[in-house]
Amino acid sequence: MDSYNRRVLDLAMGAGKILLQSGAEIFRVEETIRRISKHYGVENSNAFVFSNGIFLTGQDQMGEMYAYVKHIPISGTQLNKVDAVNRLSREIEQGLELEKAEKKLRHIKTMPGKKPLTLVLASGLGAGCFCYTIGGMLGDCLASILAGGLVGFYQILMGKRKHSTSKLALNLLGAFFATALSLLFYRMKIGFDYRAITVGAIMPMLPGVSFVTSIRELANGDYLAGTIRLLDTLLVTAGIAMGVGLFYILYYELTGGYML
Amino acid sequence: MTVNALFQFAASFFGTIAFSVIFFVPREHYLGCGIIGGLGWLFYWWMTTFLELSYLPGTFFAAALVVVLSRICGVMFKCPATIFLSSGIFPLVPGVGIYRTVYYMIIGEMDQSSVYGRRTIGTAIAIVLGIIFVFEIPQQGIARIARLAEKGRRKKQ
Repeated sequence: MDSYNRRVLDLAMGAGKILLQSGAEIFRVEETIRRISKHYGVENSNAFVFSNGIFLTGQDQMGEMYAYVKHIPISGTQLNKVDAVNRLSREIEQGLELEKAEKKLRHIKTMPGKKPLTLVLASGLGAGCFCYTIGGMLGDCLASILAGGLVGFYQILMGKRKHSTSKLALNLLGAFFATALSLLFYRMKIGFDYRAITVGAIMPMLPGVSFVTSIRELANGDYLAGTIRLLDTLLVTAGIAMGVGLFYILYYELTGGYML
Repeated sequence: MTVNALFQFAASFFGTIAFSVIFFVPREHYLGCGIIGGLGWLFYWWMTTFLELSYLPGTFFAAALVVVLSRICGVMFKCPATIFLSSGIFPLVPGVGIYRTVYYMIIGEMDQSSVYGRRTIGTAIAIVLGIIFVFEIPQQGIARIARLAEKGRRKKQ
């Protein structure tokens, strides 16, 4: 296979990889790969996309084959990259040259993330706001902001660990921590409704994106990817529920039958 | 009532924006995400408080509204609807339900726990149906609505 076709398929694979890594749906990944390779003249390309891997084969006019298998572990949601690759594929269809497209893709790959402080503040704000919508008062929201921010900090810390933590353990510990903090702030008399504080504090951990994506995959007929994501959602939710439960049970035992 | 509604909207507006920051939504779409999340929650709140609908139809219609708005924004700003949907649906996610289910299970009130457990699953299914039904609307229909919205916006300017 000549170098031009190879470059086209490399570009398509690169775009697909970024999309899948950032939490895009399967059909979007497949369509982007197909569009890019078709636009640059590789008619015979086939992509088979899993929720954690891409298989890509292409064939040129001489009948030479190109095959590429890539394992792509699921990492955090980064919707800005999904948007950027989507825009790139649109530009390619409008006639962007291959060289420029490659350069743009490299640029997308190294797109900067958010600063840890921003993420902590966002977790806090999200927790506080949703504490209000479920009926918390101003003090409860303040307590929720503090607890939610600390939970966000915990998540960033765990994300930085070299050894990847099991998702169940991560969320179980996180929810345990969130409940403990909520109770602490409740006892410090910052807020008066420990229920609202706790629910706010566990909000940043709830798997909203996985949930939405899994439903869309299932509705699109990508049952495998949908099931994997749904399982992920259920596991995370179960972890959170167990974390909250574990803390209450411990508290109950330690205080000798005192229940909130 | 108006003041309360305003506060409800503001809280879910800022909450949704906070979550869109966590999911790395591009900066120019923060406002759209916030408005979608805020309107979705406001609609749910209005339906369950004033129309006294139960949580099931409430969640379903609110989720449907969020998905329609996300798709319209997706067409208007030429980007995937998922960007708006993922954070916009967050106010409707049954966080309280999960909490209550576990809580009542632990204090030994199994009846209460199963009531809230069913409620949580029901809410999740209502969201699922809302998403699936609205995504069945063909893209042309959504594009037509988006064009109308665009025209209206231009006229105002």
